[in-house]
Amino acid sequence: MLRFAIRRLAMLVPVFLAVSLVIFMIVHLVPGDPLEHLIQVGSSPEQQAQMIARYGLDQPLLVQYGRWLAKVVGGDLGDAIVMRQPVARLIAENLPHSLALGGAALIFSTTVGIVTGVLAASFRDSLFDRVVMGFILLGSTLPSFWLALLMILAFAVQFEWFPVSGARSWDALVLPALTIGIGGTALIARVTRAAMIEIAGRDFVRVLQAKGLSFWRIQLRHVLQQAMLPVMTILGLRIGWILGGAVTVEYVFARPGLGSLLITALGQRDYPLVQGCLLMLAIAVMLGTLLGDLAQAALDPRLRETMGAR
Amino acid sequence: MRTILKGSMLALGLTALAATTALAQEATFVMTARLVGAPTYNPIKATKLNTATTLIFDRLVVQDADQSFHGQLASSWETNPDGMQWTFKLKPGVKFHNGEPFNAKTVAWWVPQFKGSENAFTVEAIERVEVVDDLTVRFHMKHPDPNLLFNLASSFMCIPEPKSYEALGDKFGVTEAIGTGPYKMQQFSVGQQTVLVRNDDYAWAAGLSKNQGPAKFKKLTFREIGEESTAYLELKTGGADLLVNVPTDFLPRIQADKAVKLVTFPGNELVYMPINTSVEPFTDIKVREATAFAVNQKEILTSLYGGNGAAADTFLISSLKEAQVEPKFRIAYDSERAKKLFDEAGWKPSADGIRVKDGKRLAVKLWTQNGTEFKRLVEIVQAQLKAVGMQAEISIIDAGSINAQYRKKTEHQLAIRAYQWTNADIVDWFFAAKRAGYPNVSMFNDPEAERLNDIAMNKSKSWDERVANFTKYHEYVLSQYPFAPIYQPVQSLAYGKRIVMPETIRGMGLYSSTMLDIAPAN
Repeated sequence: MLRFAIRRLAMLVPVFLAVSLVIFMIVHLVPGDPLEHLIQVGSSPEQQAQMIARYGLDQPLLVQYGRWLAKVVGGDLGDAIVMRQPVARLIAENLPHSLALGGAALIFSTTVGIVTGVLAASFRDSLFDRVVMGFILLGSTLPSFWLALLMILAFAVQFEWFPVSGARSWDALVLPALTIGIGGTALIARVTRAAMIEIAGRDFVRVLQAKGLSFWRIQLRHVLQQAMLPVMTILGLRIGWILGGAVTVEYVFARPGLGSLLITALGQRDYPLVQGCLLMLAIAVMLGTLLGDLAQAALDPRLRETMGAR
Repeated sequence: MRTILKGSMLALGLTALAATTALAQEATFVMTARLVGAPTYNPIKATKLNTATTLIFDRLVVQDADQSFHGQLASSWETNPDGMQWTFKLKPGVKFHNGEPFNAKTVAWWVPQFKGSENAFTVEAIERVEVVDDLTVRFHMKHPDPNLLFNLASSFMCIPEPKSYEALGDKFGVTEAIGTGPYKMQQFSVGQQTVLVRNDDYAWAAGLSKNQGPAKFKKLTFREIGEESTAYLELKTGGADLLVNVPTDFLPRIQADKAVKLVTFPGNELVYMPINTSVEPFTDIKVREATAFAVNQKEILTSLYGGNGAAADTFLISSLKEAQVEPKFRIAYDSERAKKLFDEAGWKPSADGIRVKDGKRLAVKLWTQNGTEFKRLVEIVQAQLKAVGMQAEISIIDAGSINAQYRKKTEHQLAIRAYQWTNADIVDWFFAAKRAGYPNVSMFNDPEAERLNDIAMNKSKSWDERVANFTKYHEYVLSQYPFAPIYQPVQSLAYGKRIVMPETIRGMGLYSSTMLDIAPAN
C-alpha cells in the first residue's frame, strides 16, 4: 500500500510541472497587466517603463516562467504586485476560510447525497425516488451565482434566519455552504443510487437474502459498503471542485477565501497572486484525486494491482 | 421576593439599554465595487486607497466641493510672487496615534519619502523642504507648481508617523497604520474589512466640519462588498448602516425603497466617448464633429439614470473652473448639425439609412468594458448614432484587458468610458501625444495642442494663470472633437435609520470632514 501511495505521488510531479506551465502561460497571455492598476494619473511614460522593469515584466515569457518556477520549487510564491504582500501569506490568510466553507459543503453534500442515494435505491422507481432525484438534479443545474442570490433573498432577507454576507459568525457559513453543497449532492446521490442498484443485483445479496437477513441490514451493512467505492473517487474529485466552485460563491457572499482572493487578483492581473491561487486550486484537485484513489485502494486491494502497484 | 424580581428586571433593563447605547456608537459602512481591494493604507506607496484612509491620516490641506482649499494640519499658507517658495504654518498640539508629535520636522521627513514611489510626481516640483521653526515649514521649488495645493489635498498625501513608518517598512499600512486622523486602525484584512476605533484626542479638524472634536462613533467597521446586490441587501436588512458610493444605475431602486435614505452630491466622474482620430473615417474632423453632436446627452440622462446627475458638454467635470469654456466650444446634441456635417464630409444616406461614401458604408466599431451600466449605455449610443446614419458594432471587452487593446492603437474606433478626476490636468493625461494608445485612447496628436499643453503644464506660475492656460488648452482640444462628452454621474450615499447625516456633504466625497459630522440616530 505504501509503495502504491509513493508511486501515485511521484506521478504527480510531471502533472504539477505541466499544470504550472499552463497556468503561467494562460495568465500571461490574457490581455492586460498589473500596471493598469499601478499607473497614476500624472505619472510619465518613463516612470511607467521603470515599473515594468522593476517587476521583470520586460523579460521574455520563458525567462519569467523559469524564474517563477525556480522560486515556487524553492517554496517561495513571490510577492503580489498590486497587493504588495507575499503571495504565501495572502493564501495562508484566506485558505482556512475556503477550507471551512469547502468542508461544510462537502459534509452537507456527502451526508445528504448518500442518504438520498440509499433511499432512492431502496425505493427504486417509487414516487419518492423520482421526485427527490429530480429535485436534487434541478438544484445542481442552477448556476451557483444565481442560487447564491436566491438563498440570500429567501433565507437572509425574507426569513432573516442567516446574515446576508460576511464571515463574522458561524451562521454566515450556512448559506454559502448550502449553495456549493447542493451542486455536489446530486452527483453523489446518483452515483450512490446507481452503485447500490448494481450491487443489489449481485449473487451474494441473494445468498444473504436466503440466509434471512433483513432488507435494511443487507442494504446498509453489505450493499452500501461496496457502493462506497465509486463514491470515494467522486468525493476525491469533489474536494478540488468545491474549492474551485467557491470562487463565485465567496464573491457573492463577500466572504474571505481563496475564491475572493482569486477574483480580486484576476481583476487586477496581479500575476504572482493569480498564479499562486490557481496553483493552490490545482494542487487541491490533484491531492483530492490522490486521496480518492488511495481510499479506494485501501477499501479494495484488487485496485492496487490494476492501478500499477505490482 | 418581589423586590428581588423588580431589581433583576431593572438590572436587565439597564444592561439592555447600555448594550443598545454601545451598539449605537458603532457603525458598519460598506464600500462597494470601485473601492474594493485597496491593498494597503500606506499613502506614499499606494496606488489605490479607500474612504477609510482619510480617517486614519490627515493631510496638510483639504479641498471642498467648490474646489476651494482649507487647512487641516496646516493653519495657513502663502506663496511668493514667482511661485518658487511655499510657506506653511502648522497647527500646534497635533499628535500621532502613538503619541509622537506632528511638526515641521515631520513634513521635512515626509516629502523625500515619495522619491522612487508611484506617487513621486506629486512632489516632483519640490526642490527641498526647510524647517523654519517647529510649526513653520517652507518648500523651495525647482519650478513653479500652481497645482501643489491640489496634490497636497489628495489622499496619497496623507501624512504617516515617521518612526513607525520606518520601523514597519512594507508592513506599514497593512499590519499597522499610524496617522493623526480621527480614527485609529485596529484591524485590516485586504479586500474584506477595516476596523477603526475613535481617536479620543482628536481636536484639529479642518474648517469644513461642524464637529471640531473627536468623532461621534466609537467604532467604525468598513466592509468591502464587490457584488452590488449583496451590498444593497446588507443595508436593507440592517447588516450595514451606510453604503459608500452607490453605483448610479442602482439609484432608482434605492430611491424606491422607503427603508433606506439617499443623499446625492456633485460627482467627480465623467462618462465620455473617445474617438480614435488616427483611423478612418475619424481622421476627418467633420466626421468626428458629426459623431460628437449625434450623442443625445439629455436623453441618456433621463432614460438611463432617471435624471440623477447632469449631461456633460465639455471634457471636464463642471465644478472645475477650466470647464467654463466659451459656449461655441460646448458639445451638446444637435442632430441637424451632425447630419449636415456628414453630408459635407461626403457621407450620403443610402436606402437603409446608413451613410455611404465611395461605396463604403459608415460602419464603425464601438467598444466598452463589461458592467451593466456600460452595456446599457452603449446600446443607447448605438441607437443614437444609427439615427444619423452611422452603424456601430458593439464589442464588450473585459475591464482588465481593454486598456491593452487600446494600446494596439488602431484596433478601436469609438468607445464608451468613464474617468474620475478633479483636476484639469486630465486633459494632458488623455490628449498628450506621448500617451497615445493608452491613456490617450483618441490617439490625439496635434502640434497646437502640444504647444498649449506645454504652457498649461509647465509655464503657469499661479493658480489663476494655470486655470487660464488650461481653459485655453481645453477649448482647443474641444474644437478638434477627439471625445464626445456624455454624462456626469452624482456621488451618492445610501444609509439606514441608525445614522443621522449632516445637511451638506463637505469635501470632494465622503471624507473625514463629513465623517466627523455623521452621528448615531439617538
